[in-house]
Amino acid sequence: MRLLFAYIDPGAGSLVIQAIIATVVSIPFFFRNAIRSTIAKFRRTLQPVDKKGVTPPDPE
Amino acid sequence: MIDRPAAEREPGSYRDPSGFVFRRDGVLYRQINLRIADDWSLFSSSGLHAGLMEKGLLVPDEPAELDLAPEPGAVAVIRPREIGFISYPYEWSFSQLKDAALLTLEAQAVAAEHGMTLRDASAYNVQFDKGRAVLIDTLSFERARPDEPWKPYRQFCEHFLAPLALMAHRDGRLGLLLRDFIDGLPLDLASVLLPRGTRWSPGLAAHVHLHSRAQRRHAGSTAEAPRAVKMSDTRRRALLDHLRHTVEGLHLPAQGTRWADYADQTSYSAAGTASKEAIVGRMLQAAGGERTWDVGANTGRYSAIAATAGYEVVAIDGDWAAVERHYLALRSANERRIMPLLADLADPSPAIGWASRERASLLERANADVVMALALVHHLAIGRNVPLPMVSELLARLAPKLIVEWVPKEDPMVGRLLSAREDVFPDYSVDGFRGAFGHDFKIVEEAPIEDSPRVLFRMERLG
Repeated sequence: MRLLFAYIDPGAGSLVIQAIIATVVSIPFFFRNAIRSTIAKFRRTLQPVDKKGVTPPDPE
Repeated sequence: MIDRPAAEREPGSYRDPSGFVFRRDGVLYRQINLRIADDWSLFSSSGLHAGLMEKGLLVPDEPAELDLAPEPGAVAVIRPREIGFISYPYEWSFSQLKDAALLTLEAQAVAAEHGMTLRDASAYNVQFDKGRAVLIDTLSFERARPDEPWKPYRQFCEHFLAPLALMAHRDGRLGLLLRDFIDGLPLDLASVLLPRGTRWSPGLAAHVHLHSRAQRRHAGSTAEAPRAVKMSDTRRRALLDHLRHTVEGLHLPAQGTRWADYADQTSYSAAGTASKEAIVGRMLQAAGGERTWDVGANTGRYSAIAATAGYEVVAIDGDWAAVERHYLALRSANERRIMPLLADLADPSPAIGWASRERASLLERANADVVMALALVHHLAIGRNVPLPMVSELLARLAPKLIVEWVPKEDPMVGRLLSAREDVFPDYSVDGFRGAFGHDFKIVEEAPIEDSPRVLFRMERLG
């Protein structure tokens, strides 16, 4: 058994529930990030390239 | 061996064996212990230490000599910049606590970029430094280990999320519960106090209601399974993202209270207001000093005058809505010299925690050069039945200099206080006031406010 080093008590119930919550919320989180990065990639492809051939930096 | 002045450990700094805060010759230092030597070295080498300070998320510090360490086992000693006034979560309005929560999550996000993570998420690790929330616990960071859950999750929910949810969904005054629960609001209590409708809000349903049920279910369990919980990086990031969205989604219902609207309903004419502002400004210049406490500050009209006069101001009011309104106005104006604080002078924050020394009472933290008590004395003397000599005695404990406003019985605001009750205050007269305050102060100057029966006094403490 691996020991969890913590000077505060992370709480047994809190550890179990955070793992469950994290699993549930990671599904929309994963898809949201995937969509965001696809859109960002798509934008970069569509972005006009200036005369020197340099793509302007992403506004983000 | 250099002869060092004796070290005194800060009473609130005992929980974490990784180090502690102490004073030598009045100077604040932090000892870092051998047990976290690796984490401390990664904190610097990863660039996280400098990065957090640069972003203004962590109170700045500088290295100090190792032999200043008062106890064996030190690997380093640092000297953090001292915060002008230490405040506690139960003295913050909703948005102050919310900003402290978001700061904690931001620091966690920055730490993750550097391969580190927070070891704790206590609201007491946050202070307001020049108007902005900053982390003060330089030892809160450790190396992130793969697949580990977020250990401060429970502490974050109890110190931040639960009180914020209660303030947003029940009543802004419920932040004061933190005074009774130094380790954060128990989630089972938060769960029963929250309206039933919050069970349908995904964030609160998960992090408060289900969290509380899971705690109850596993209470007293000796099973080792929970300690074997593993979480991938993506799941941990998703959890933290969800927590942040939940906190960001909490808002106070738009409602005024008696006091927050009070600033707009004073009994002064325009000439009276201008006269009072001019006199207060002049008296502040004459008093001289660096810090002032504006007691009964409301939404801070006179705190602003003190800030303009060059003072650092603690603007104290007992009404949460007034403090909230004041904080939001200062934040949007980027005014950094004023710290709004929720406290009732008739019942100031007590000392709490271990041996009643862990968190100092408000009176123990009095560090002002000048105290301003404008339109306050009648609320204490008549509104709260405090005899004038006791009001004077308390104000004399706060600072050596005082600017105080006398509001006589013929003033409409006193009339309002007496409208539904017997006048049991025969000593409430300007002579009674002079006699009571003359016991503790020398009256240096008095100035009647134009177009008003009120008088401003500047006083200096005797002895």
